[in-house]
Amino acid sequence: MILERLVRNITKRLTGFIRGLRSFMGFVVSIFVSFKSFRHLRFRSIYSIAVNQTRFTGVDALPLIVFIALLLGGTVIIQATKNFPKFGIEDFLGNLLVIIIAREMGPLVTAIIVVSRSGSAIATEIATQKQKGEIQSLEILGINTTLYIVFPRIVASFIAIFSLIIIFDIVAFFGGYLISLTTVFIPVDIFFESLLNSFNFLDLIITLLKSLIYGILIPVICCYYGFKPESDFQIPIYVSKAVVRTLVILFVINALVSALFYF
Amino acid sequence: MEPKECLKFDEVSYLGESSISLVDFSFSLLEGENLVIFGPENSGISLVCPLIAGTITDFEGTILYRGSSVKDFDFLAMHNYRTRLGYLQAGYGLINNMSVEENISLPLKYHSSISASEINVRVSELMAELHLDHCKNLRPVDLLKSEMLKTAYARAIALDPDLILLEHALETQCLLNAQTYLTSLMRRTFSEGSSVIVVTYEPERFAGFADTFIMLYKGNKVFQGDRGAFLEQKNPYLKQYMQASLKGPMRIL
Repeated sequence: MILERLVRNITKRLTGFIRGLRSFMGFVVSIFVSFKSFRHLRFRSIYSIAVNQTRFTGVDALPLIVFIALLLGGTVIIQATKNFPKFGIEDFLGNLLVIIIAREMGPLVTAIIVVSRSGSAIATEIATQKQKGEIQSLEILGINTTLYIVFPRIVASFIAIFSLIIIFDIVAFFGGYLISLTTVFIPVDIFFESLLNSFNFLDLIITLLKSLIYGILIPVICCYYGFKPESDFQIPIYVSKAVVRTLVILFVINALVSALFYF
Repeated sequence: MEPKECLKFDEVSYLGESSISLVDFSFSLLEGENLVIFGPENSGISLVCPLIAGTITDFEGTILYRGSSVKDFDFLAMHNYRTRLGYLQAGYGLINNMSVEENISLPLKYHSSISASEINVRVSELMAELHLDHCKNLRPVDLLKSEMLKTAYARAIALDPDLILLEHALETQCLLNAQTYLTSLMRRTFSEGSSVIVVTYEPERFAGFADTFIMLYKGNKVFQGDRGAFLEQKNPYLKQYMQASLKGPMRIL
């Protein structure tokens, strides 16, 4: 009896998951289909959307990114100087920051901040526009809503996330260096030489790759859930789903990319 | 020269949500002709504009726009077709994070190849015609009802469409403030030859403007006639509707 109920529950959840995945794939296909009208798209009509989205996702998030990067860089160094022997620490502090901050925490924390701020805003904005009839009114004006709404947000998210990751890494290194000064004195040139020696071309490629993946996934998933609500009361449900599911997918993607390149 | 047929409904049937339906609905609209479609709630009048605009596609029968079936339009044909329509929706559908000026210029920026300065001139002309200059930079949330109506109307006609669809445009409006809109509409239809379809609960407001009146009840056409027939009110459905009487062939909800 219990086993039967368990099997039924698992089957139900699996069916729901497959249905959801199929629906999401349908949305992704509709984005590709919408590119058929790409040559009719005049960039002046999406320019302001892309600029506003880049400003909101990138520029407006800067204070938060800087603050968290400083704290995170400092925390990593505090742990390192506390738990590792002080002798020869200047040689591996740079390596440690590159491994923890540049390769993993930088892209991931930046993406988490972007999802929390911009992902939720994208989903809410689209859901509200849909409920107020704005999406329908765009369609009636002959505007391809998928292209008009999703495409500029993908471009903006990619630019913003890539820039934010770079800034996050630089600030975290700087924060780490400042904290390290309170315990052990490392000359600035030696610290940054150690950082540069630890960096390689692959790290840069992976940062770019992660920016690209996150820059596409975050707006696409959040737009998908933004288009879902059929009534006002469903808006918070789908906004919550947009944020939670995007975060889960980001963690999975982050692990996969790291495993693929560093394992 | 005889005016050509602009739009034709040929035995169009559709069963929508909440049991709103259309049953074998037929009519044709010539270039420059003005048609008013009215009827009580749940009569199917709310389906007419979405059917014409192609947002409802799973209907039976044929809708022809200048001889081509709307149902058979592919992605790009539908895209081009919608630029020929000026659709003023019920509720207006203004984009809330755009100003009045940006709302009006949106179809021009998206569809037309004219330069930014020409767009500015066109938008300024429309705003002057509809007395919207004072609210150029305001967002829809800051507008009066009549200003929202005029902004939505300006956006609908920005591309000079040859078929204008007006869905419950004057309902809940102050008629005095809406006069600039009505004056512009009259000018457009009389001098520029656009065809207009008005969907409304208040057909009498368009009595001096429309050529043909159609009344629907429970998805069926129960009256069709010219201005004279409409004003005479000999049809029992029309008489009951215009007199808002409880007695007559229609069952009041």
